[in-house]
Amino acid sequence: MIELKNIEKVYRTDTVETLAINGISLHIAKGEFLSIMGPSGCGKSTLLNIMGLLDQPSSGTIVVDTQNTNAFSDKELAGFRNKKLGFIFQSYHLINDLQVLDNVELPLLYRNISSSERRELAAAALEKVGLSNRMSHFPTQLSGGQRQRVAIARAIVGRPEIILADEPTGNLDSAMGNEIMDILLRLNEVDGTTIVMVTHDEHMAKKTHRLVRLFDGSQVQ
Amino acid sequence: MFKHLIKLIWNRRKKNSLFLAEIVVSFMVIFILSSFLTFYYQNYRKALGFNYENIWVLRYSNPPELKETDSLVRYYDQVRNILKSTPQVKSYTFSGSNYPYSNSMSTSNLDYKDKSINNVNVYNIESDYPKVMETELVAGRWFTPEDSLNKRKPMLITKTLSQEMFGADNPIGKITGKAEREAEIIGVINDIKSDGDYLPGGNSMFRQLKPGDVKWAGQILMRVSPDADAAFESKLYNLLANTMKGSSIELSHLSDIRISRNRQTTTPMLIFTVIASFLVFNVSLGLFGVLWYNINQRKGEIGLRRAIGASAFNVNKQLITEALILTTFSLLIGVFFAIQFPLLKVFNLESSVYFIAIFISCIFIYLLVFLCALYPGKQAAAIMPAMALHEE
Repeated sequence: MIELKNIEKVYRTDTVETLAINGISLHIAKGEFLSIMGPSGCGKSTLLNIMGLLDQPSSGTIVVDTQNTNAFSDKELAGFRNKKLGFIFQSYHLINDLQVLDNVELPLLYRNISSSERRELAAAALEKVGLSNRMSHFPTQLSGGQRQRVAIARAIVGRPEIILADEPTGNLDSAMGNEIMDILLRLNEVDGTTIVMVTHDEHMAKKTHRLVRLFDGSQVQ
Repeated sequence: MFKHLIKLIWNRRKKNSLFLAEIVVSFMVIFILSSFLTFYYQNYRKALGFNYENIWVLRYSNPPELKETDSLVRYYDQVRNILKSTPQVKSYTFSGSNYPYSNSMSTSNLDYKDKSINNVNVYNIESDYPKVMETELVAGRWFTPEDSLNKRKPMLITKTLSQEMFGADNPIGKITGKAEREAEIIGVINDIKSDGDYLPGGNSMFRQLKPGDVKWAGQILMRVSPDADAAFESKLYNLLANTMKGSSIELSHLSDIRISRNRQTTTPMLIFTVIASFLVFNVSLGLFGVLWYNINQRKGEIGLRRAIGASAFNVNKQLITEALILTTFSLLIGVFFAIQFPLLKVFNLESSVYFIAIFISCIFIYLLVFLCALYPGKQAAAIMPAMALHEE
């Protein structure tokens, strides 16, 4: 499903060169739930961003669903992200000026889908995360757990094959975190969605199929 | 997407209020400026109605020692003889003080039956006036010297005045005014722009000076041949000065008076244009700043949109479209105020001037906002999504 071959990421400033990812190769099978752990600054989020085509590696190849994405144009990358990938972020990244339903609809705006169909799909996604009664609320009117569920609904509304979650429970208490984790596990088990999750929480990581540990930009497990 | 953007803008209306206010203010400035420019341009495009080239103006005062009309008529007959005997002077006419570009006004009403038109320029001139000014006769005829002997005063009017007063009817032979002011319309001429190239001539009527009227006319307009040079001017001046002893005389060129009169219109307009340009420049810097700030504040959102499927082009297009939608809201407010100008007849300009000005101002503002949004939008779209998400 996702094949990373010898990925390197170097951040350069005028005076400093920082190696964030150091030759990581990784294969993630279809339907797998993988967690990535490691200390802060070890390159977990950078690796996830590269996997999600949000950032470009300095070297190496990313093959997603048999397609080598290195040669993709910006438009192709955008289309690929829209159809194949769903993102969940630690800080939710909801647009506070839009109602919950509008937030969930966002990925569908970049597809050729009618307004009514968008509404239906968004409502169904919210139903799936148990928030159908909060459709017309604004994100600021929701709790952290509810916001993250909205973010999950937004990630799954386009029925992507892969979900990339960057510390989805990082800002939540354990009860809320478990709730979110249960939704992700259900998505993986019931819908067969491939999930890659970055986490600091060993307890959450243990619930996934496989754990990858990073240290100083290198894979150690 | 359009509906989505409208919703987003509406929900952010408070955040966007500064931008909206800036656009409304700049629209009003541009609207007023373009109203005047349109007005001046429309007038400039209109025919002049006469030829100001090679016309000299002799301003004179009566000699203090001559009080009787007959003496003055004889006195000015000598002047006529000089002008007639000078080959370079092709034709001449005595004229009241309100000759073209003169800054002097003489107005009256034109009454016909129950209808009355106010503020009509009254030109008191002689029968050779059309030869001097090369005015364009549209209907009827000009005065002849014999007309001055008729009991009923002959009169010519301009085309627009004729249309306003008589519509499609033939004005020739119509008797206007009552009692002593009764006059017969004998001809119609094309409108003349006597207040300069950029101002409307206004309605005008032409009355014939009788021989005795030269005592208060005060001006002689003369058409000279194109080869009349400074040496001839000096010679003519000396000749007239010697003949008109006791009078103070001043000889000037109508073309120079025209330039001076046009400057009276263009100079304030130029100053206003410069001030407005500075204002627009500042407003555009402000707009650029507001857009730049707004876009920087929204980096997280831009990153998110990129992550969920927006291309750099989509992001750039969205930001520009948003700015243009906001501009449309502002322009709706601005146009609401601007439309009051023709409704309330502010500045008393034709309605078409305001409508053209509204159109020009809208185009200008759209263009300005588009240019101001282009660069910040492009910069925002160029950021890698991961970095934009990280920067929130």
